[in-house]
Amino acid sequence: MRISHLIAAASIAIGATTAFTAMPAMATGKVTCDAPKAEWKSRVALESKLKAEGWKIKKSKVDGGCYEVYATLPDGKFVEAYFHPVTFEKLYVSQRGKVLFRKAD
Amino acid sequence: MTEASSKSRPLGRWLFWAVLALPGMAMLIGAYRDPDAMFDLLHPSGEFSVRFMIIAMMISPLRAIFGPRRWLNWLMRQRRALGVAAFGYGAIHTILYLVDLGALQGDWTIIAGEWMLPAILTGYIAMAIFTIMAITSNRASERKLRRNWKRVQQLVYPAALLIALHWFWIDNEWQGMAVHLGPLLLLEIIRLFLWARARHARLPANPSPA
Repeated sequence: MRISHLIAAASIAIGATTAFTAMPAMATGKVTCDAPKAEWKSRVALESKLKAEGWKIKKSKVDGGCYEVYATLPDGKFVEAYFHPVTFEKLYVSQRGKVLFRKAD
Repeated sequence: MTEASSKSRPLGRWLFWAVLALPGMAMLIGAYRDPDAMFDLLHPSGEFSVRFMIIAMMISPLRAIFGPRRWLNWLMRQRRALGVAAFGYGAIHTILYLVDLGALQGDWTIIAGEWMLPAILTGYIAMAIFTIMAITSNRASERKLRRNWKRVQQLVYPAALLIALHWFWIDNEWQGMAVHLGPLLLLEIIRLFLWARARHARLPANPSPA
């Protein structure tokens, strides 16, 4: 009986602390890029390139060393896309968890 | 969401509701002042909904594990407020999603184009369940539904499963979801284990007449 108390208390304590602290900072790890930061091109340049291709950008940020972009495609799909920060090569595109594109290894 | 909720003192009860509502107020004000922030509020609003659902759901297994305790009785009296808060944050989450994608401007193309995707559909169904649960979270419904009232509230279990899938598919990773729902799952496993052991111990305890 006492062991069950201990496990219950520990699981709540660990759950509560990790849920409110550790998670937001973690890289999602869907795609990773490891280009040296000095070589990166600007995120604004990527955004304007995509805008010229008809993307409507909601947000962009760095994730796993890649540029991550949330945007609406010209065909009306809202997607999350990853790009290489130096070459701007498209690496991964998903619509609400449904993978639309993944760069072949 | 229990019948005992009305027994707590009114002031304490209002204070508890106010505390639960506070992050939501901040979210709504933030979204109103800066519509661009709506997208960033999607994840937090969903997380708050899940957190309050988890705390409400933890009370039963905790009572099975720890037995009668004062802090558990106190939590039990807040369960209805916690459940309704889970619904409230789920509603904010859904509204922010719809408005962010253009619903107020009459643009439903993205919304209509993705509602059937598993990651989105699970969210809608869970929200429908939460809505039914919240509507029946009052004394009048308890009296009217009698035994069925408990069954309605037990819909939270399939809702939790749907939310786990919703979170997992939207994020395309399981860590965030698992950190939140893992402890609850563990508590339910311990409860099941204790229940099975108690049952096992009772069975041979039928002394044969000697």
